[in-house]
Amino acid sequence: MTGGSWLCLLAPLGGTILILLGGTKIPRVAAAWIATTSVFVAFGGAVWAFFGVRSAPTNVGLGIVSPFPARGEITTAWTWLASGHFSVGLQLLVDPLSAVMMLIVSGVGGLIVLYSIGYMDGDEEERRYFAYISFFVFSMLLLVEGGNLLLLLVGWGLVGLSSYLLIGFWHERPSAVRAAKKAFVMNAFGDAAMALAFFILIAHTSSLSFGVLDFGLSTTQANLVALGLLGGAAAKSAQIPLQTWLPDAMEGPTPVSALIHAATMVTAGVYLIARTHPIFEQARTIELIAAGTGALTLLVAGLIALVQTDIKRVIAYSTMSQIGYMFLGAGVGAYANGMFHLMTHAFFKALLFMTAGLAIHALAGEQDIRNMRGLGKLMPFTKWCFLAGALALVGIPPFSGFFSKDSIVASAAALGTWYGWIFWVCGIAGAFLTGLYTFRLWFLVFPGEPSPFVREHHHDHHGREGAWTMLVPVGVLAVLATVGGWLQWSPQWHPFTDWLAPAAQTLTVAEPTSTQEYLTSAATVLAGLAGIALAWAIYSERRVEVPAAPFWRRTLEHKFYFDELYDRLFYAPGAWAASFLRREFEEPVVLQTGRDLGETTLATGGLVRRIQTGLLRTYVLFLAAGAAGLVLAFLIAK
Amino acid sequence: MILASAGNVVVWMVWVVAAFSCLGSGVAVISFSNPFFSALALIGNLASLAVMYLLLNAEFVAAAQVLVYAGAVVVMFLFVIAYVGPRRETPWSGGPSWQTVGAVAAAGALLVEIVVAVGMQANGSLHSDGKVGAAFGTPAWIGRVFLVDHLLAFEITSVVLLIAAVGGVILGSHSQRGTAR
Amino acid sequence: MTGPDVAWYVAVAAVLFGIGALGVLIRRNTLVVLLSLELMLNAGNLALIALSRHFHNGAGQIFALAVMAVAASEVCVGLGLVVALNRRHLSLDVDTLSELKG
Repeated sequence: MTGGSWLCLLAPLGGTILILLGGTKIPRVAAAWIATTSVFVAFGGAVWAFFGVRSAPTNVGLGIVSPFPARGEITTAWTWLASGHFSVGLQLLVDPLSAVMMLIVSGVGGLIVLYSIGYMDGDEEERRYFAYISFFVFSMLLLVEGGNLLLLLVGWGLVGLSSYLLIGFWHERPSAVRAAKKAFVMNAFGDAAMALAFFILIAHTSSLSFGVLDFGLSTTQANLVALGLLGGAAAKSAQIPLQTWLPDAMEGPTPVSALIHAATMVTAGVYLIARTHPIFEQARTIELIAAGTGALTLLVAGLIALVQTDIKRVIAYSTMSQIGYMFLGAGVGAYANGMFHLMTHAFFKALLFMTAGLAIHALAGEQDIRNMRGLGKLMPFTKWCFLAGALALVGIPPFSGFFSKDSIVASAAALGTWYGWIFWVCGIAGAFLTGLYTFRLWFLVFPGEPSPFVREHHHDHHGREGAWTMLVPVGVLAVLATVGGWLQWSPQWHPFTDWLAPAAQTLTVAEPTSTQEYLTSAATVLAGLAGIALAWAIYSERRVEVPAAPFWRRTLEHKFYFDELYDRLFYAPGAWAASFLRREFEEPVVLQTGRDLGETTLATGGLVRRIQTGLLRTYVLFLAAGAAGLVLAFLIAK
Repeated sequence: MILASAGNVVVWMVWVVAAFSCLGSGVAVISFSNPFFSALALIGNLASLAVMYLLLNAEFVAAAQVLVYAGAVVVMFLFVIAYVGPRRETPWSGGPSWQTVGAVAAAGALLVEIVVAVGMQANGSLHSDGKVGAAFGTPAWIGRVFLVDHLLAFEITSVVLLIAAVGGVILGSHSQRGTAR
Repeated sequence: MTGPDVAWYVAVAAVLFGIGALGVLIRRNTLVVLLSLELMLNAGNLALIALSRHFHNGAGQIFALAVMAVAASEVCVGLGLVVALNRRHLSLDVDTLSELKG
């Protein structure tokens, strides 16, 4: 079990180091395969760890308390840093929660890295890409396997770094560099919030092991810590108000969007809430704020997705919206439901991004969906795989989204309070929006006769829709997106929830009755179908005009003016203060002081240089006079 | 008692002769215009100093003074002076007048201050009582002190000498290359 | 065997030091400046040995020997410079070697 976790963690790091050391000495293809192999080896380690946890006994009820995990094991390689009473080990935690995350990250990650071999083929700096992406997989695995909060924070920072590097991978594009900076800065807010929460923990418990979350904090402290963690989670998972970086992050290569900005990194916030749920349960208000944030984000992102024209941005907003669902689930206390949606979302969202990548690839980099009509005729495989992903996203049975999303909405209903019902309504409305924007995308891109633009620009890959390295992962994920949800249907069977129970037990208030489950399922499916029908009516048959409502259209196209607001609130005052200080302080005080200092020194030097006669005997005379003076001083002092 | 005082008188006389020849040869060193004579006067100065060392029970240092200084250093001086040859272009003294005045003033001030300091400190306490062990200043004693108590100083001194030798060689060889160009 | 007080020796050393300093300050011939330096060093040595005798402490004699070694080093480098100057047909007058003038 522990061997598997170390193998899982270190294999991608080894891949990174190998590619970096190899440099230009290894061929590009070799770099690609090193990365792919290392991630698949990590998947092997994850499977090993999974079966290890499976055969491990459950510690619940055996009287073993924190810091031992309820099921699984913590291994410590060595004491990483020690300072007084505070000591942190380099330790990994393998328990049901991290085993699931390891499987998702390394499994989906392996498929996406395999896909990148075809996607990145011919790029000038392929090796750098593969070094970064296997480094990302390492960082993400460190995040989910870290056996204490500090290692979790290290992984948290490293995924931010690799995300920055990969968004800005095409560094010759100014927009990519800007997007990378934006993502990094937004995430830095979250990281700072988390670090502050950890400071509070260290100050009051002098420990950062997961066990300290269970006890020893007053209500105020618990609230502050939970708030800090929520800040970190919201930044990483692109939830309101720190959501603006995610759409811009689509500047990176499409596999990066699939891996980092859909399947794994952005869902880390959900993992964080599930992992630190004891503190959130002590701070129930903050936990409900997390749920509310999720509900708000899923609506806002769904609305914005309606008017986007860039295929990747539509999917990016849908990602935000789906993570909103996960936050909603984890926030109301149904951690397993949130994690289950995280898993199915990783399947179908990676699938959607990768099929979008196939389309972009086939159209020589075109991303505007208004130009793509009728692509399905030329790319049938892509079309059907995308349809599977889209149906899973909307949550139409028997596709996977149905099983995971509905149970989240049902858990909100189970709360039974007024805000529970608000969350429920948001969830249903979100399902409608999901159907609408997803199938807007579908009807605009795939059905019908190919448009002139498509005919002109389309080119296939040796008679196929892409390299086999791209088609195989897409096919695998299409199957997973279809059947992945059958693992659990909450009213009838729930092995996933049972599996996670030792690590993150679902709160009883968030356990819906079967009736609630069925009713919610019916409502969400109907809402999703209604969304699909409306999309069909507007974008396929053109029976209904898009409502004019120019104000709303403009608002949505400007993404509710979040960027403009932040510009006004933070950037503009900052820039003004900077220019003011430059004009009023730096120029007259700092720079002028420097100039004055230089001039004074120069003038003094001009005076003093006359002493430097160059005559040896003069110098000796000064020496002798100095000695005489010193002796005189001593004599007088005596 | 008489014998002791007679010995005392002899010591005094030796001392007076040594001190005066020491100071006289010192003045001679700085006043000859020909550096060759200055170097010769330095030999006299060193020899009279060696006598005073003997009076102070420092036999080994006295011997080293004669061997190292008079035998090696001054000989080296004489070699170089002969090598350079009689060069008359350097005036005896001169330069800015304040330099000379300042020189005399500074040297005089130092002298007066040292004498005053010695006088103040002495206050009658600076007299040799003649009670030193028989071994004091002998080569065996010096050797033990030097190589046991002050080994580090000994080693550092040897390194300094080595560095100086290397420096001398480099100065000489560089100047040769300089003339070749 | 008694003789003059140590104070007398120290007085001789002081006068010798003054003579040496005067030589260094006044003379312009590099060689004579070096010789005068030797006078100053020897004055120091005399004081060291006299006080070593007074305090019955051998360290003074050791120090005098070290000073002799340093003096030999100094002569070695100084004479090396003189030879180098002569090779380049430069003046031995210290006042003409004033290229370091500020």
